[in-house]
Amino acid sequence: MDAQFVYQNLYDLFYMLVFPGLLFLIAFALFAEYVDRKLHARLQHRVGPPWFQPLADVIKLAAKEEMTPRLADRRMFLMAPLVALAATATAFLYIPTWKSDIRYHFEGDLILVLYMLTVPTVTFFLGGWYSRSVYSMIGAARAVMQLFAYEVPLFLCILGPALLANTWSISKMAAFYQVHPAFAALNILGLGVCLVALLGKLERVPFDIPEAETEIVAGSFTEYSGRLLAMLRLTIDLETIVGAALIAAVFLPFGLGLPAAAGFAVYLVKLLAVVCVLTVMRSIMARLRIDQMINLCWKVAAPLGVAQVLIDLVAKGYLPRGYLQ
Amino acid sequence: MEESLSVQSELMKSFSGVVGNIRVPRPRRIFAQVPYDRFAEVFENIVERMGFSILCAITALDGGAFIEIIYHLARPSGVVLNLSTSVPKDRPVVKTISGRFPAADLYEREMVDLMGVQVEGLPPGNRYPLPDDWPAGQYPLRKDWKRPETATPDKANQEQRHV
Amino acid sequence: MFEGESVQVPVGPQHPALKEPTSFMLTLQGEKILQIAVRLGYNHRGIEKACEERTYVQGIYLIERICGICSHSHATCFVQAVEEIVGIQAPPRAQYIRTIVAELERIHSHLLWLGVAGHEVGFDTLLMYSWRDREIVMDLLALLTGNRVNYGINTFGGVRRDISPEQKADIFTRLNALEERTKYYVSVATQETTLINRLRNVGVLSPADAVRMGAVGPTARASSVDRDIRRDDPYLAYGEIPFKVITADCNDVYGRTLVRVGELMESYKMIRHALEHLPDGPIAVKAPRKVPAGEALGRYEAPRGEDVHYVRGNGTEKPDRVKVRAPTLANVQAVAKMLEDRYLADLPIVVAAIDPCFSCTDRLTEVRRADGPSSVLHWEQLRQYGIEWHRRHGIDFSKLNNSFRCPEDH
Repeated sequence: MDAQFVYQNLYDLFYMLVFPGLLFLIAFALFAEYVDRKLHARLQHRVGPPWFQPLADVIKLAAKEEMTPRLADRRMFLMAPLVALAATATAFLYIPTWKSDIRYHFEGDLILVLYMLTVPTVTFFLGGWYSRSVYSMIGAARAVMQLFAYEVPLFLCILGPALLANTWSISKMAAFYQVHPAFAALNILGLGVCLVALLGKLERVPFDIPEAETEIVAGSFTEYSGRLLAMLRLTIDLETIVGAALIAAVFLPFGLGLPAAAGFAVYLVKLLAVVCVLTVMRSIMARLRIDQMINLCWKVAAPLGVAQVLIDLVAKGYLPRGYLQ
Repeated sequence: MEESLSVQSELMKSFSGVVGNIRVPRPRRIFAQVPYDRFAEVFENIVERMGFSILCAITALDGGAFIEIIYHLARPSGVVLNLSTSVPKDRPVVKTISGRFPAADLYEREMVDLMGVQVEGLPPGNRYPLPDDWPAGQYPLRKDWKRPETATPDKANQEQRHV
Repeated sequence: MFEGESVQVPVGPQHPALKEPTSFMLTLQGEKILQIAVRLGYNHRGIEKACEERTYVQGIYLIERICGICSHSHATCFVQAVEEIVGIQAPPRAQYIRTIVAELERIHSHLLWLGVAGHEVGFDTLLMYSWRDREIVMDLLALLTGNRVNYGINTFGGVRRDISPEQKADIFTRLNALEERTKYYVSVATQETTLINRLRNVGVLSPADAVRMGAVGPTARASSVDRDIRRDDPYLAYGEIPFKVITADCNDVYGRTLVRVGELMESYKMIRHALEHLPDGPIAVKAPRKVPAGEALGRYEAPRGEDVHYVRGNGTEKPDRVKVRAPTLANVQAVAKMLEDRYLADLPIVVAAIDPCFSCTDRLTEVRRADGPSSVLHWEQLRQYGIEWHRRHGIDFSKLNNSFRCPEDH
């Protein structure tokens, strides 16, 4: 083994586990949770938590006793949070950060990321369903119903920009819009729909239907406690960042060419901006009913998604031949 | 006051010898008594013909040898007729009025649990307000009711601590 | 989900949607409610029985504690009934002061309701806003009576505290602030789309059903049932204060919201009028300790609807019988009707929309069975279990124990 090989592997490990991989992701996700909670609190005329509160919550939950319901399928119950966390963290590796040429990318990583982002919802369903508590089971069923509602508009709205950029790789999409920032303006509609769909994915107000506290206690998470609950909550935090990063990479191609420090700062600002938009949305709305949510997604969001695809196709047809170079 | 007095005279006229002790102590308040064997007929009349279409409450009282039940009925105009009737304590049976007043269901269950009045015709449902494991035959609002001998949570706690 | 088969979902006795223990056993098919069984009584504290064992004056303070929200309603209703038996009347100034406190109580109750309603449909910002503004009226009540809840302002023959000119000026200023905020809530309730979506056509109770089921208060008034004890059977100073009875013909939760917000605006006007026309004179007359034999029925329009107290005296210092019919008991029957063929998601807001107060409703157990199931952990066992668990995980709390005392030791 030569030194180059060892160095490469060490760097891979560092990249995946520390920066910009898991550790950075967790740290940033907790910070984003703080921003979310603090802003939510200030919008509600409350003081809000101190900066370390999200971390303190994770540590507190991790120190608590774990309980598994007697009727639950223990293996599924334990697996669900682990798989959800792993899938979310993996998805993050394929999303461009402050530069478009990142370490891991391939033609088709867009599909992989979208798939990895669906995994947590499916595991929430399995975890909730195999908890065998009525609240969890209703929550699990709602989570899947909701998944089918928001997934289509989300995919359509990312499909449009991908068609325009003529690639299935997020990095290449980012690179394309970096070169042609004006085209990003065509995708504004998709940005809006994606934000709404992300609210659904993250199960936040007005789409926190699967965990509606006043109806089904905590939905899929009702029976979870201790480390498993900490993991689930962390997963949702990570999902927020991964979702925000995806939106930033696809729709907000600014500052990608900047030097490292400035680019990093712009990157953080973009992600936090997305988080803040989500926070404002959850602060100013009431929770919808599942039927209203599905109606909204199929009758409004999905047609808008189709419109986005059409816009991009038309734009592509009218553009000069050599623009892809 | 006129309305109350006209109700009083109407009651006297329609039910002389049946409804007794009709009093109007203040405007909009009428108190009257009726024996239970004539109650259904009088009640029907008052509710359907005289317009006392609101049931405010039902009160059961322990009167020693009998149990007195007062139906507080009101007109939308604000006049309240407190129609009192009595049933013997050793056989306190009344018929339900929850057919006419659905809300009476809970008022009557309360009488059943707390005063030991038997109400015939109540639809099936949960008891109210006492717990499901409440000992039978214990009616707390009766004057001769004594608290059953029970261990307090403190005692139970101490016993378990020694284990 | 669960197509074809039904599933039983317990909502309560402990559930996040309920602020007090009560139980709704739902039979669901998918999200649809097939059947609903209500079980009340978890808050039964034996207050009616306890009243018979206490003097009338002690009774006021006990009855005031039937409910933390409409405490003045219960106390005033009781005091009025007793005053009627005794044959005394509180002086006009006392009547006005009682009325002012009563309307302030309505304001704090309705603002509280607005927040709870927001929370039930996941609109927590509304909860935070309205409860923050509710502090203004809570402060006012504390200023006038010395207490934020359970005001203790009533006594037989009058009230225990007067309103000073400075307090009067203070009330006017704060009422203006409250009125501004309430206008904002009117606009929120009539403009915020997600909120309207959750309230409109939910919990429908037709006017005919409202009358038949005996609904009271804002629940009835939102179904066009024009009934208000303050106007129909005037008590306190309501006969002299002009006000409108707010009704709505929406028959749903949205209507109940509009009625309550409308009543808030009326209450501000009523308090201003009462303060401007506050009569001079004493605030109480002397009342005898013994109450003659006699009976009286008090009716009172509490924030949640008609409150009824029946009192019978027997010539002693203690009442022979005190009967309380709280508004929730009249409204709870209508809940099952409102939820027919509705969705699980509607349950919290529909239940909340009658502004239920189960502690009012249940009132009356002092018997606790000691031979319960062995799985019950008592406080001390639970504490030991926690200590053991942490010790196994390397954290030892036992050294801290000296300063802890089991709350059931005394």
